[in-house]
Amino acid sequence: MNWRLGFLVTAAACAVLPFAVPQHSLTILVEALILGLFAMSLDLLVGYCRLYSFGHAAAYGLGAYSYALILTYVPLPLPAAILLAVAVTIVIAIPIAWICTRSTGVSFAMLTLAFAQLGYAMLFRFRDVTGGSDGLVGIPRHPGPFGIDWFQSKLGYYYLVLACLFGSYLLCRAIVRSPFGAVLAGIRENEAKTIALGYNTRAYKITTVVLAYGFGGLAGALYAAFAGFASPELFFWLTSGRVLIMVIVGGAGTLIGPILGGVSFVFLEHQLSQVTDLWPLIFGTIFMAFVMFAPQGIWGILTSRFRSRRAVSGSDSAKEAPGAAT
Amino acid sequence: MNWFGFILAQCLNALSQASILFFIACGLTLIFGIMRIVNFAHGVIFMLGAYVGYTANVVTGSFLVSLVVAPVVVGLVGMAFERTLLRHLYGRRDGGAYLLLTFGLAVVLSELIRLIWGVQPLGAGIPDFLRGVVIILDQPFPLYRLFLIGLGVAAAIAIWQFLERARPGLLIRAVSQNSEMVHALGTDVDMVRTAVFGFGCALAALGGVLAAPLVTAFLGMGTSVVIDAFVIVIIGGMGSFLGSIIGSVLVAFVQVMGAYYFQDLALALMYLLMLLVLIIRPGGLLGKED
Amino acid sequence: MPLLECRGLVRRFGALVAVDDIDLAVEPGEIRAVIGPNGAGKSTVFNLITSVLKPSAGQVIFAGEDITGMPVHEVAQKGIARTFQLCHIFPALTVRENVRIAAQARDGRRWQFLGGGRVLNRSTSAADEAIARMRLTRMADATAAMLSHGDQRLLEIAMAIAQKPRLLMLDEPTQGLSIEETGRAVQILKDMLTEGDLSVLLVEHDMEVVFKLADNITVLHRGRVIADGSPAAVRASAQVRSAYLGGAQ
Repeated sequence: MNWRLGFLVTAAACAVLPFAVPQHSLTILVEALILGLFAMSLDLLVGYCRLYSFGHAAAYGLGAYSYALILTYVPLPLPAAILLAVAVTIVIAIPIAWICTRSTGVSFAMLTLAFAQLGYAMLFRFRDVTGGSDGLVGIPRHPGPFGIDWFQSKLGYYYLVLACLFGSYLLCRAIVRSPFGAVLAGIRENEAKTIALGYNTRAYKITTVVLAYGFGGLAGALYAAFAGFASPELFFWLTSGRVLIMVIVGGAGTLIGPILGGVSFVFLEHQLSQVTDLWPLIFGTIFMAFVMFAPQGIWGILTSRFRSRRAVSGSDSAKEAPGAAT
Repeated sequence: MNWFGFILAQCLNALSQASILFFIACGLTLIFGIMRIVNFAHGVIFMLGAYVGYTANVVTGSFLVSLVVAPVVVGLVGMAFERTLLRHLYGRRDGGAYLLLTFGLAVVLSELIRLIWGVQPLGAGIPDFLRGVVIILDQPFPLYRLFLIGLGVAAAIAIWQFLERARPGLLIRAVSQNSEMVHALGTDVDMVRTAVFGFGCALAALGGVLAAPLVTAFLGMGTSVVIDAFVIVIIGGMGSFLGSIIGSVLVAFVQVMGAYYFQDLALALMYLLMLLVLIIRPGGLLGKED
Repeated sequence: MPLLECRGLVRRFGALVAVDDIDLAVEPGEIRAVIGPNGAGKSTVFNLITSVLKPSAGQVIFAGEDITGMPVHEVAQKGIARTFQLCHIFPALTVRENVRIAAQARDGRRWQFLGGGRVLNRSTSAADEAIARMRLTRMADATAAMLSHGDQRLLEIAMAIAQKPRLLMLDEPTQGLSIEETGRAVQILKDMLTEGDLSVLLVEHDMEVVFKLADNITVLHRGRVIADGSPAAVRASAQVRSAYLGGAQ
């Protein structure tokens, strides 16, 4: 069908992309994909539950530092280290999710921010372990298991990240189209009604926060392994801000929109920062403009145009997935 | 005995801190009372006040002038923001839009400050006429901090009386309770909202000017402050003026005692307090519910 | 044994006693209407039964189980479905999606977050059934926000019956409906209620609707039960007449 075709074409295009661009662009490509993954993880909260997290940097930072710290003690092969880092992030996310979901709206946002700030402060408190403001450097990528080491080269790592991104996207897409995902749509649209229907919405929200942290942690771990270092900046509120901007401008509630938002953000940032010092200001302003005039984001606009054209041509729109456009 | 003097000094320390927190929290709670939104940019507004105050101080050479200029300038900025941007969101069903917009403002203002003033912390220090110490019960206590306490108390009384007695104050209280009714009675509610938003920002800016001599104006001073202010407003109750006073004092005491006794955990203590309050009363202890 | 039993329900708001020692019972298969002047406490009773409000005193027994103060979602899981006075739906979703979420609510595998095709199919067919009952099939793909007020109310009822409840609680289902819409709704409800063994508790202001549908009526006035019986008995009751037509509140 339409979606499958689009997916395969995109996957194929991304697969051959490294050969079409100069070598030095590969670094930015990898960073872009990682940030796309990070942004998509936040979309689960913002786009599908309307839970605005101002502290999603915590997920990223947790993933990155977990990976780094694991490797300082145990020289695990890369895939194992990343999986373990994600597991650690998820475990830490559970009490965070439990506490944050006690409230909604602003209180939720503040609590998530507070946890990110707490993480930031903890890094400085335990600076013997975390390296304080210098962070952790020289983080390796170990080969294995079975001596597999194709991901140690930049090109190889690109394919690893690509696989993680596409795999995560497929997972997230399945989740939002599942019975679970349908309940998220209910929570988003009218939580009181969803509770009255018999759903324990708190449990659903906690699960979604944990999932969002999981995917965010994956992005963080991939980043730490790629860049080779982890710094406190990863927990800073502006990191949370950037990813939130990517989600909103890209198109909340579409999964694809935030991925594109993250990817374009990295490219634009790279290009613009060479030209002007004003780019964060520009992004902030663009963000506010979208919040006011185009809250459905770029991908939201594009897909709604496409969908209304489809409806006019009379095709079957009854197969809409529960929740927003995917 | 000196021990008693020490305790007194700590209390006065906490009260001076409470003073600054009060200016920020009071602004936040007034804005919430009138508009039912939490101004996420409030911390950055505080920071903007500190920077504008610094420049005013340097340019005019007078701290007192900066105490007036900074709140006025920042208040106007706040009013401009409310008038041109925030106002557009009033019809929206989605409460998240306010959150995002004020967040966007925080980012934009933060960047502007960085571009205009640079990354180095700026501080002119405590003005000469407020330097020095006062001996209280054999303990030296900074004069500046006493000044803060005095100013805080004076402002609290002034605002309280304004809300209770003055006609504009009554209008503000009326609008926070039932804006439609007030509108039907012929008042320009939009103007009241703009004015209160500006006033709330001005108060936060004043807090910034007052804080700068103690901590210098630096990037990032807004982030922890906005959380502090939020905790205060939660404790005291969203929209409750009295609550903002009580909350400020409580939080200041926790911070000062925490910094002294649990040095390393001082930061964590704040968040624990917030967690505790939000766990027990997700809506706050006094005042209007969200 | 009654399906639903309220014993000595009391609810205070400060000095105001909104619900003052109310006993109410619904037998299996019964359609009971709760009527009363404004402020009598009807919606408050509904909120007490479904745990949206916790009672100051008293008990709510459902199918022999004490459900007083149980979390709201658990009450629904026990088999109670309700509609609200101010229509509560999911405005941005389609009619079918609205009802499907309701139909899924008591499915054992509603948790499933991967796959779940079977769950979705089950609930979709249950939803289509409920939509057909409410005669909303031709707008199943329309966005709920686009529906007329009357159709939105029918949608809400469709969602309630899709939950396959044992007790259906309707809070002023015909409020805001035109005469024609009210007639249609009553006809639909009548057809539906006569075939199943659904029990219904109904708050209504429209007396014609009440007399067309209800087996028994409970009359509330200022938080107390002032009459309880068949429509004929209630119609004849002097107390009821004075409460409705007599002195001020």
